[in-house]
Amino acid sequence: MIHYLLLPMLLLLLVIVQFTILELFSFGWIGIEISLIVVVYLGFHLDALRGGLLSLLLGFFLDCLTSAIFGLYMFLYVLIFYLSNIVGGKIYAGKPALIASFTALCALLEGLMIVLFYRFVFGADILGAIPKIFVPQAVVVGCLSPLCFILLHRFEVFWHVEDRRPARRI
Amino acid sequence: MLIPHKYHPPVVAAVLLIISLTVISYSASRLSETGFLRKMVLEAAAPVEDAVNVSLKGLHDSWKRYLFLVGLEDENRRLRHGNAVLSEQLNHYREGYIEGMRLQKLLNLKDSLTNRVVAARVVDRNRASLFKTILIDKGTADGMRVGFPVLSEQGVVGRIIETAWHASQVLLLVDGNSNIDGLIQRSRAQGILQGAGSAGCNLKYISRVEEVLPGDVVLSSGLAGVFPKGLLLGVVTKVSRKGEGLFQKIDVAPAVDFGKLEEVLALIPDAGAEK
Repeated sequence: MIHYLLLPMLLLLLVIVQFTILELFSFGWIGIEISLIVVVYLGFHLDALRGGLLSLLLGFFLDCLTSAIFGLYMFLYVLIFYLSNIVGGKIYAGKPALIASFTALCALLEGLMIVLFYRFVFGADILGAIPKIFVPQAVVVGCLSPLCFILLHRFEVFWHVEDRRPARRI
Repeated sequence: MLIPHKYHPPVVAAVLLIISLTVISYSASRLSETGFLRKMVLEAAAPVEDAVNVSLKGLHDSWKRYLFLVGLEDENRRLRHGNAVLSEQLNHYREGYIEGMRLQKLLNLKDSLTNRVVAARVVDRNRASLFKTILIDKGTADGMRVGFPVLSEQGVVGRIIETAWHASQVLLLVDGNSNIDGLIQRSRAQGILQGAGSAGCNLKYISRVEEVLPGDVVLSSGLAGVFPKGLLLGVVTKVSRKGEGLFQKIDVAPAVDFGKLEEVLALIPDAGAEK
């Protein structure tokens, strides 16, 4: 039970770290969105309910701290989670190249949806952000994702070391 | 269970998506208000963010200080280099000044002489050799001939014994082969000043009856025709009348410090005298 109380705090810490420490490495140009990699990882490894709730929570924290449109990241992360969940259920998602390309695709999809959202809701044209921000961001996130997957897997093993749940049926 | 198990994921997904869309529409309609949960998250995140930012700022400041120190090291290296260059220049100028002073003295000497003179630079000195000689950078092309006397601002240096086109060898006053006709300035007693190597010179053939005292100045007598009369040769350091014989034993310290000789003047005798 304590795990389920600690997990939201860890997710909040992740979001804080993402917007404080990791921003230093991006030199204010692009964001290194580790939270998106976490959502994709959750999609590949958790069931719909728990993963969906965690993604929603992650999106909520992100919305709280950064988003001008509250709920946007919640929506996007839930969507990406289920997309990953569907893809994860159909293919073997263990190859780094696949992880990297799928995460990059998700990052691009996220960027595209933000652009579309801004266009249709606010009438703002930020199409220029796709090649300038979202494409490089997708490349960076894609490149980082295999390493993050390894780290997340180790964390998951550590997290559930005393949890004797039966293995998940794929 | 109302919903079959296989429909759980799409239902959950739909519910969560609807929740998030509801949140979007709710927040869009009430832009001015911050929800309770959001406030809580912001409240929880603020101290953590603050702590992280303070740590990062500390790191950033340390890094900047480190960079400043690196810059300081560079600046220090650059200043040291500049200092070395300036010191070298200063030495160069000081050397030039000292050389100028020496040349001024030589010029004064040159002006005091009636003979034509040629200034030469000492390019080598024979320290270890039995012969006490120096090499100067003027030769027959500059009018140098064997036997010409060589002076410095301190006094007589010696005479030329070898000449090439652009170099000449000078036999120093202190060489054992050097014999110069000299006289005691005070008593006008005449003798032959012979070189004695590192011991200096000996003034020979001064009668025992002549009064010679340490400190007496020895000048060239001008009798042999090589050195003009009145050039400073040295100073008497020791006089001995012990032993049998007609003459005194007189030690003379040469006026010239041969170890510090850098420029000299070679005297070109008058055409008549040379012949």
